[in-house]
Amino acid sequence: MSNGGTPAQGRKEGGFEREPARRVFAGELRECRHQFREGDDEKSPTFVLLPTGERSNRVFLVGTLTEKQRQGEQNIFYRGRVVDPTGTFFVMAGSYQPEAMQQLAKIETPAFVGVVGKPNLYQTPDGAYLVSVRVESVTIVDRETRDLWVLDTARATLDRIDVMAQGSTPDAARVKEHYPSLDPAMFRKMVYEALAQIKI
Amino acid sequence: MDFSQTAERISLKFSQKGQSVDTKKIEAKLRRLIEEFGVQPAEAERSVTNELAKEFNLPGIGTGGGGRGKPGERENRSIADVVPGEWVTIEGKVVAILSPVSPSIAQSGIIADTTGAIRFVAWAKANAPEMRQDAWYRIESAVIDEFKGVANLKIHSGTSVKPIVEDRALIPSILKVGELKPGIGSVRVKVVQEWETTHERMLQSGTVGDESGTIKFVIWKEPGKERLKVGAVYTIFYALVDEFNARLSLNLSTATYMQDEGDITVSGGDSDVRGAVVHIAPGSGLIKRCPVEGCNRALSRQNYCPVHEIQPGFVYDLRIKGWLDDGEKTYNILLQREVVESLTGINLDAAKELAENNPLGMDEVFLRMRDTILGRYIICRGREIDNRLLVRTCERVKMDTGEHTALLNRAGGAP
Repeated sequence: MSNGGTPAQGRKEGGFEREPARRVFAGELRECRHQFREGDDEKSPTFVLLPTGERSNRVFLVGTLTEKQRQGEQNIFYRGRVVDPTGTFFVMAGSYQPEAMQQLAKIETPAFVGVVGKPNLYQTPDGAYLVSVRVESVTIVDRETRDLWVLDTARATLDRIDVMAQGSTPDAARVKEHYPSLDPAMFRKMVYEALAQIKI
Repeated sequence: MDFSQTAERISLKFSQKGQSVDTKKIEAKLRRLIEEFGVQPAEAERSVTNELAKEFNLPGIGTGGGGRGKPGERENRSIADVVPGEWVTIEGKVVAILSPVSPSIAQSGIIADTTGAIRFVAWAKANAPEMRQDAWYRIESAVIDEFKGVANLKIHSGTSVKPIVEDRALIPSILKVGELKPGIGSVRVKVVQEWETTHERMLQSGTVGDESGTIKFVIWKEPGKERLKVGAVYTIFYALVDEFNARLSLNLSTATYMQDEGDITVSGGDSDVRGAVVHIAPGSGLIKRCPVEGCNRALSRQNYCPVHEIQPGFVYDLRIKGWLDDGEKTYNILLQREVVESLTGINLDAAKELAENNPLGMDEVFLRMRDTILGRYIICRGREIDNRLLVRTCERVKMDTGEHTALLNRAGGAP
């Protein structure tokens, strides 16, 4: 409902807006090379820059949990691999996400899982980049949910490519700066191949 | 800024009384007040006029005189046309009297003519005669200013308030909900919903609506105020239209309302949101509610109600609070019992049984519901308020082969 009022400028009274969970294929997320923070506040969210021209503080992904591993002695945490039609997501849940860690501990591989989490970009000592998703929640889902996610993510990715082609958003400009050699056509192809793998 | 016109005007007032004042001097005073001290132009004009009136000992011009002697400002104005910063004379009917919020205010309320209505405030210092509800008055030389973005009529010591004896007809103009602006408004609406009251001084809150949309309303506990009946149609005269966080609401404290015949088809204002459930909040699942009539608050684990303390005779209910995310925006969703039952397939009785026969108790219900809907795609239909979605109906998203084909074409179609 619109009241014709002007929206409050900047930060809204009484809190903050929750960052949406972006839909992104593993094949795109692993190409992230740039992470940034908006604002100087300690609580300011950090974003990874998706190569299709949008920032992401949170992702929602659905795939097959193929492996999970308990690690650490005193600080126990779980790592897992979640596979989608385009590649592998690396997910982890530590003692700061007790609920997510317990959920992950309980799930038997392989299983379709839905994961909500925060992407983080790391650089290994030998210079390689790794994007890992810190899990906020993970649940077992069915194949239909996986298929719906592929459609949803395909649409979202194509939308981002179209917006970036117009080049008018700040994040599109960021992509030009940080991923100068990336060709958006490769993500369009990735989307096509992901869709083609779904049998209806 | 050019002050010569204002200076000329002030100078004219004094020359009519046989005093000549240098307009350059007036201009300098005005400039100093406005530019150095940030005084509003109307206030500066008043202030300079006053100062000079004192100097020449001409009380007739002073405080009372903002517009006195100037024919234009003695003309009646339509309430709908006044704008902040003006000195005006209006004739209107007092349609509401409010209890003053501060000792420096003698009286406040709403005065209306056929074109519209405005809030008025009579300062205690103004020594204005007390106005009666439903009586007509002529108010000369009042000032229109702005408070919280809403025009206000100020009755100060220079304002004259005279009763108008004859009785005049006043037919308020009824607006559509979608046309309301901050200030005062009259509407004909249907009561859509009643909400839990959040404050003990609150009599009732909820939403009302017409074909053009819906709006929140609130009635505070005051003598003579009655609750609205859900589903009934009312004509509401002269409610305060408040704005908070760019959203409007109707405060019926000033309003007269009466139930009306007929029915109104309220524009749903419903939105559909399709997305994934990305979080289920604590307090979802099987909950206990306070049994005290009209309370219905959720109780803590120890059966403690924030208002009515320990309530062992609680009532069970189902609800789900969580976040629904479409990839662009996240909505805080609230699902009531019926919606929860249809979405999770667990009804209230089954939930109670689960809780009774399980070592985890009510947590078991939460966990089962979480595992059933977290990470799933659903479509929720309901009223959207900011990021909040009060869900009326909800269903699982089904696979659509047409969408699949369309996306394949889109991905493969372009080079």
